[in-house]
Amino acid sequence: MPIHDQGYRRYGGSKAPLGQGWTVIARAGIRAMFAKRAFLGLLLMAWLPFFVRSVQFYAAANLPQAAVLAPSADTFRQFLDQQATFVFFVTVYVGAGLIANDRRANALQIYLSKPLTRLEYVFGKLAILATFLLLVTWVPAIVLLIVQISFAGNFTFLKNNLFLFPAITVFTFIEVLLVAMTMLALSSLSNSSRYVGILYAGVIFFSSAIYGVLYAVTRSTMFSWISFPANLEQIGNVIFRQPLRYDTPWPLSLLMIVLGIVMSGVILERRVRGVEVVA
Amino acid sequence: MSAVEQGAAAAVPDERRAVPRGSNIIAADHLSKWYGQVIGLNDVTLTVPPGITGLLGPNGAGKSTFMKLITGQLKPSKGTITVLGEPIWGNPSLYFRIGFCPEQDAFYERMTGLEWVTALVRLNGLSDTEAAATGRRALEMVELLDAADKKIGAYSKGMRQRVKMAQALAHEPELLILDEPLAGMDPIARRKTIRMIKDWGRAGRSIIVSSHILHEIESMTANILLINQGRILAEGNVHQIRDLIDEHPHTVYIKADQTRALARQFLSFDDVLSLKFEEDAIVVQTGRPDAFYARLTDLAASGELGAIHEVTSPDDNLQAVFQYLVKT
Repeated sequence: MPIHDQGYRRYGGSKAPLGQGWTVIARAGIRAMFAKRAFLGLLLMAWLPFFVRSVQFYAAANLPQAAVLAPSADTFRQFLDQQATFVFFVTVYVGAGLIANDRRANALQIYLSKPLTRLEYVFGKLAILATFLLLVTWVPAIVLLIVQISFAGNFTFLKNNLFLFPAITVFTFIEVLLVAMTMLALSSLSNSSRYVGILYAGVIFFSSAIYGVLYAVTRSTMFSWISFPANLEQIGNVIFRQPLRYDTPWPLSLLMIVLGIVMSGVILERRVRGVEVVA
Repeated sequence: MSAVEQGAAAAVPDERRAVPRGSNIIAADHLSKWYGQVIGLNDVTLTVPPGITGLLGPNGAGKSTFMKLITGQLKPSKGTITVLGEPIWGNPSLYFRIGFCPEQDAFYERMTGLEWVTALVRLNGLSDTEAAATGRRALEMVELLDAADKKIGAYSKGMRQRVKMAQALAHEPELLILDEPLAGMDPIARRKTIRMIKDWGRAGRSIIVSSHILHEIESMTANILLINQGRILAEGNVHQIRDLIDEHPHTVYIKADQTRALARQFLSFDDVLSLKFEEDAIVVQTGRPDAFYARLTDLAASGELGAIHEVTSPDDNLQAVFQYLVKT
């Protein structure tokens, strides 16, 4: 009877090629967030406006007395405006520790000694935050569009507002990219997720406060480009073909958004390193 | 500089070697690294042969800079470095063939050892199922399988070092780079770890291990690189500088439950030159470190004088040898 070798045998299966490390980072992060009950509660709350809007659409489609509640393109714009509050909380909850916790645990030098580039690492982290932000913006807005069609029983609304699907998609992706990149950049600046959360809230509220002071002095909305949320609102209205909210030219608001994303990228390039070099 | 091929690797048949005999695992050519105005590594040209190589130098000598350069975490300011025949900087595919164990703790303490190793193994391209099995095997190799499901926060210093080593060797790299792997370990964990490193060397792996304690390196390999003030001071056989080190008293810091009982025992050793008490610890100077460490390990294993939690050695004696070498 032949006796087989019982010793350790080297793994002979397939390995994922280089360039897919970001999926490992993203999956691990998404799983970790879904394991938190408090976060699931936050996600549920973020979907409450969706359920309210669904009832509104149902009433408008089925009750003649509620015709005044019939949706328009602006309804979807307003819906995404309401979701901004949840975008803020989800960003702070999910994003604050994404890089800060790795820095505190010295995990970056271990990650980056694996077949994983810095770009893949950042992309993986970005994917975690973007997934949850899209889950409270793009997903409910698109489902709401489907709900409207279902309750109305026809495609009339969609045909009359064909731009809505691309508008929702473009706006939410711009919003998510700006918010996620900003939060990741801030998260790379500190080892404390709490401090990062406060810093992010500071960026949002401080920029709005400065704009508020300038508005109070000049009585003009020309300085809205200073405000982080105002730039998104201005671009949102352009995309949804709504009247502009501020006197600031929308290309300036767009430029500020692009600048924010580029600056965040520069910060991430400098801060996400296996070894911190202080020279 | 010449490459010296000896030690444990010499006993390994060619067919079991990951790196063929004769080829170098690391080659540095006029390698320099500056941190602003401070020089970390200064015009280093060397080759490292397959097998176990010890990188020895006092704190601040440039060991960590060299380690970071050979793991591609730092870009050389000048010169070139190749690892396993390829440039390491900006070449992440090479990390499939390298395992790195950093000096500092680098984990989430709320995770279990198995979760942490498995998560890192996934980055090497293994599926979830394979990663879990590979993580278990790696923990078994470092004799940590019993504590695999414990949180890392509850691990002792020795267990933390071993779990870091498990993540480095889980994907079966050709080259293992271990930065101060024995730092802070108790005598038994130290002996186990040295045995493991030697076994890996015998199994055909190439290993670069850094330390500021000569006798630790000596117990693993005879092939060493001496580094001081950012320059390679000497390379070759450890026995040549062994005589020099013995001329200088060796300081050992021991953290234990019963320091007074230990002190009484140490006083009966003729090689112990002095004793000093510190809070929960005892600082011993010995003229024969090998004999002292052997007896200390036996004492720890017997448990007669309570638990010994940590053994560290400041590098005063090594510094003295380096000063001597620099003068000559």
